[in-house]
Amino acid sequence: MRFIYDRVMYGKESALDPLCVNENSYGRIDVKDSCTGCGACSRECLVGAINLENGKARVDSRSCIYCGRCIDACGHGALSNSHDYRLADPELAGDELRKKIYKKFSRSLVLRSVDTGSCNACLLELSAMSNNYYSLSRYGIEFAASPRHADGIVVTGPVTINMKEALIKSYEAMAEPRIVIAAGACSHDGGIFKDSYGVVNRLDEIIPVDLTIPGCPPSPQAIIYGLLKLLDRV
Amino acid sequence: MKIEQLKEKLENLKYSTGIKNRNELYAYVPKSAAVDVATMLYTAHKLNFAAEFCQQKTGEDGFFISILFISRKHNYYVVIRYETEDTLMSIQDLVFQAHLFEREISDLYGLGIAGGKDARNLVKHEAWESGVYPLKKDFPYGTKIKERNETGKYEFKGLSGEGGYQIAVGPVHAGIIEPGHFRFSAIGESIENLEIRLMYKHRGIEKMMENVDADKLSLVFERVSGESAAAYSEGYAHLVESLNGWQVSEDIKALRVAFLELERACNFLEDIAGICVDIGFSYPAKKFSYFSELIRQLCERVTGSRFLRNSIIPCGNNVEFGGDKAVDIVDTIDGIVHRFNRIVEMTLVSVSFLDRVENTGIIRNDNAVKLCMTGVSGRASGIVYDVRNSFSYELYPKLKKPVQTETLGGVFERYKLKIEEIRSAFDYIKSSLDFIGGRTVPKERNSISLQAGQEAIVSVETVKGDLIIYGLTGMDNRFDRIYMKTPSFANWRGLTYAVMGEIVPDFPLCNKSMNMSYSENDR
Repeated sequence: MRFIYDRVMYGKESALDPLCVNENSYGRIDVKDSCTGCGACSRECLVGAINLENGKARVDSRSCIYCGRCIDACGHGALSNSHDYRLADPELAGDELRKKIYKKFSRSLVLRSVDTGSCNACLLELSAMSNNYYSLSRYGIEFAASPRHADGIVVTGPVTINMKEALIKSYEAMAEPRIVIAAGACSHDGGIFKDSYGVVNRLDEIIPVDLTIPGCPPSPQAIIYGLLKLLDRV
Repeated sequence: MKIEQLKEKLENLKYSTGIKNRNELYAYVPKSAAVDVATMLYTAHKLNFAAEFCQQKTGEDGFFISILFISRKHNYYVVIRYETEDTLMSIQDLVFQAHLFEREISDLYGLGIAGGKDARNLVKHEAWESGVYPLKKDFPYGTKIKERNETGKYEFKGLSGEGGYQIAVGPVHAGIIEPGHFRFSAIGESIENLEIRLMYKHRGIEKMMENVDADKLSLVFERVSGESAAAYSEGYAHLVESLNGWQVSEDIKALRVAFLELERACNFLEDIAGICVDIGFSYPAKKFSYFSELIRQLCERVTGSRFLRNSIIPCGNNVEFGGDKAVDIVDTIDGIVHRFNRIVEMTLVSVSFLDRVENTGIIRNDNAVKLCMTGVSGRASGIVYDVRNSFSYELYPKLKKPVQTETLGGVFERYKLKIEEIRSAFDYIKSSLDFIGGRTVPKERNSISLQAGQEAIVSVETVKGDLIIYGLTGMDNRFDRIYMKTPSFANWRGLTYAVMGEIVPDFPLCNKSMNMSYSENDR
């Protein structure tokens, strides 16, 4: 009775469009023309995500941890946060066959989460996707309890020496074709932990990665966008 | 006994001592006397064991071992420090939990454990090459551990006789959970023993912290454990400010309290949502996690990060905090409180809910004390200790509230305490915002410069319990050693007691009610 009362009183709480514009989110770091290539930003960057190309700074959105220190460090006001969380891009490289395969999963995708050493913020965001604000299942995407039931794995965190074997076993336990999604900067190149002694390999040196979702951690919106992009639905 | 009296007593025993930063007493003892002094402090003076850690002498061979005790009554730290070449003197016979700290030192520094029963590998798993000790200074930063499978196999406790069986779970779990291995020994339905093997996520963060400039180090602290990102950055800010004697303004102190409590509120909401999920009570579970989502979005509006990252920085404040943000926080919380109370009531009047949580997963007080448990899990078992009251920091001394405790130490007690924590977090936020009173707290960055050779110990109450950070500064604005005693490091062993005699399906419930962080444990 209490449930019905609560439900009638407050109604549906899911967001109508989880992919709405979010002005408070962090997003791609834009570089304006006023950049002089002085390199102040790249010295400030802890993860080495900023390179100077043709006298201008370029921010690698996959390695970036979005701490915003470069924006503060720039004396010319050339860097800014675009608030656009739509950063994910599948690594198709013109591969039409793979594109077709992803499309096959477009109505239903079952994923398995494998954490290989994250700080657990990425995991909290993965589980936040299934709260009733985002309600991920509306897109037909679910998380399975076993790799045997999954079409793909979502890897979070840098790959540590102690987790490498478990990661490979989880990957091999999946039926083919299998998708690998790297969520967060750590699973791309080790992120902030890339120089630590326990972080032995980049993920893409161990298993082929189909989709990288940048962020530290990527927000639920960013992850949903990435997944839908992979399935060719946005 | 107050810190000065203890200092005098140790000096009468002919040990050299020194007090640093008002409440840290360092006693330098010969190696042969270390165990005796530790026994005296632990049994005669009833000080609480907090941690044991190692550091290499600067520029030389040889190590210092520090055993850290805390006086919860008089709010000070005692460090017993001795020099050693190759072994540490085990205090496992004195303090049960010491084996964890000693095995970690042994794995990372290569010291033998003299007189300790448990000397198994803790950090090193089978894949590690032999003979490497990554925290030693001669192991260069940036080098990786080679995968050579040279470390001996870890032996789990076996099971013999009829009717018993073992269930191996993990490291990859059946949900969105961090990795760890659980080995259950069960007879029929009930769990007779649980052995937990962790450190799957060991990245080597402490080594990293010695090699990152102090100005950027708060970024690393925030990423030790995502759940407690604000508390970790507060810990670092507190450490730096204690080392260089910096005082931030009262408004910044109040703002930090608001951030820390926002983090507590949304984590505890997720915890109680998890408890409801593991019972299969989906309506409250969904609503609690919805409230938590609302607070995460609030955090994003206020600081630009759902995890309050890049907000608390040493010697300053990284968020432009205007009156409109304070209004937003108060409005959001007011919108949640009433609904939250109704949903809590829904769970407390449900017989099937109470049936699952009451008298489940009990950690008796004597076990909790033995395991040095902290945080909500410790307080649920009757340990009266909260860093916010004992080693009060930022604006907490002005907002003091009594420590909430329970006695039985089961899932229901932890559930009730977490609900109280959420309510008190809302109160703390409101009173700290009242303190700011609509004023704008401007963004303010100051570069940090550290003098070499200084040390300090600080504690912070994170979502999981007390985080203790020891820092020793080195050259070039870097630290020579940072040691973190994370709350989960001690609390994890509590789970093995909680599940004893429970049925296997109640394990997730017991686990979620404590909800330790694997990341901060493994580091």
